[in-house]
Amino acid sequence: MVEANKEIKEGIWSWVKFLRKGIGYFAFALHRLTGIVILFYLYLHYTVLSNLLRGQASYNAIVRSITYGPYDSFLVLDFLLALVIFYHGANGVRLALNEFGIGLNHNKALFYTFEIIAMILLGIFDYYALQFVGVGF
Amino acid sequence: MGAKTEMRYGSLSRFFQAITGLLIIFFLGVHLFVAHINFGHPVAFFNSVLLQLRDPWWFAFFLIFVYVITYHGINGLKNLIDDTSISVRAKRRIGIILYIIYFITIIYGTILTILVVQIPVPS
Repeated sequence: MVEANKEIKEGIWSWVKFLRKGIGYFAFALHRLTGIVILFYLYLHYTVLSNLLRGQASYNAIVRSITYGPYDSFLVLDFLLALVIFYHGANGVRLALNEFGIGLNHNKALFYTFEIIAMILLGIFDYYALQFVGVGF
Repeated sequence: MGAKTEMRYGSLSRFFQAITGLLIIFFLGVHLFVAHINFGHPVAFFNSVLLQLRDPWWFAFFLIFVYVITYHGINGLKNLIDDTSISVRAKRRIGIILYIIYFITIIYGTILTILVVQIPVPS
């Protein structure tokens, strides 16, 4: 109870203090932080797509610049974004199953299982996506 | 009674969050494959976007995708704000603002998609 009151007082800062609070709290905090990152990216994505109205040359130039960026640095950001999306998706599936009453007593096992599957899928996705931007393995 | 209604509403919001989340797995999976792997370029260029949107099935796919993913994002942010220590009144106001943002976004997305479909594909 005291701990709960302390968290309310701390507000969202309590999310980043997940050390010693266990894997459940880590999953909860990271799910929310990754959700904010994805929502920010979603609106960024809509902004880029709005440039379709500016015509072929303009849109293609923007796509080229945001795909590679200076010294291909945006590829690293793409990789991190994919990591965030796959993490959020895997944990989200667990939470959705919980919502339907599935796996409530096996949360930890489900968390690890879904995250391992997601990271394998992320590896496969990154492998194929990077092939097409000329960063072949 | 009030608390009961709030709880039921909260449960419904979480239920929709779960349903839209599962739908996004499908939509995003298809989108990542089509836009980042299948076309041979990480981000689809002008012509490929225009050609794809001319297919009524893809047109419907992307519109529904926008409606679903924006709802999931905005509703998720609302749930997150509901868990903070700010006042109930402030939470309610922020909730209304977020749903207005949601409706503006989907209306803008729909208009943008319709306008993009009408652009002639360059040869």
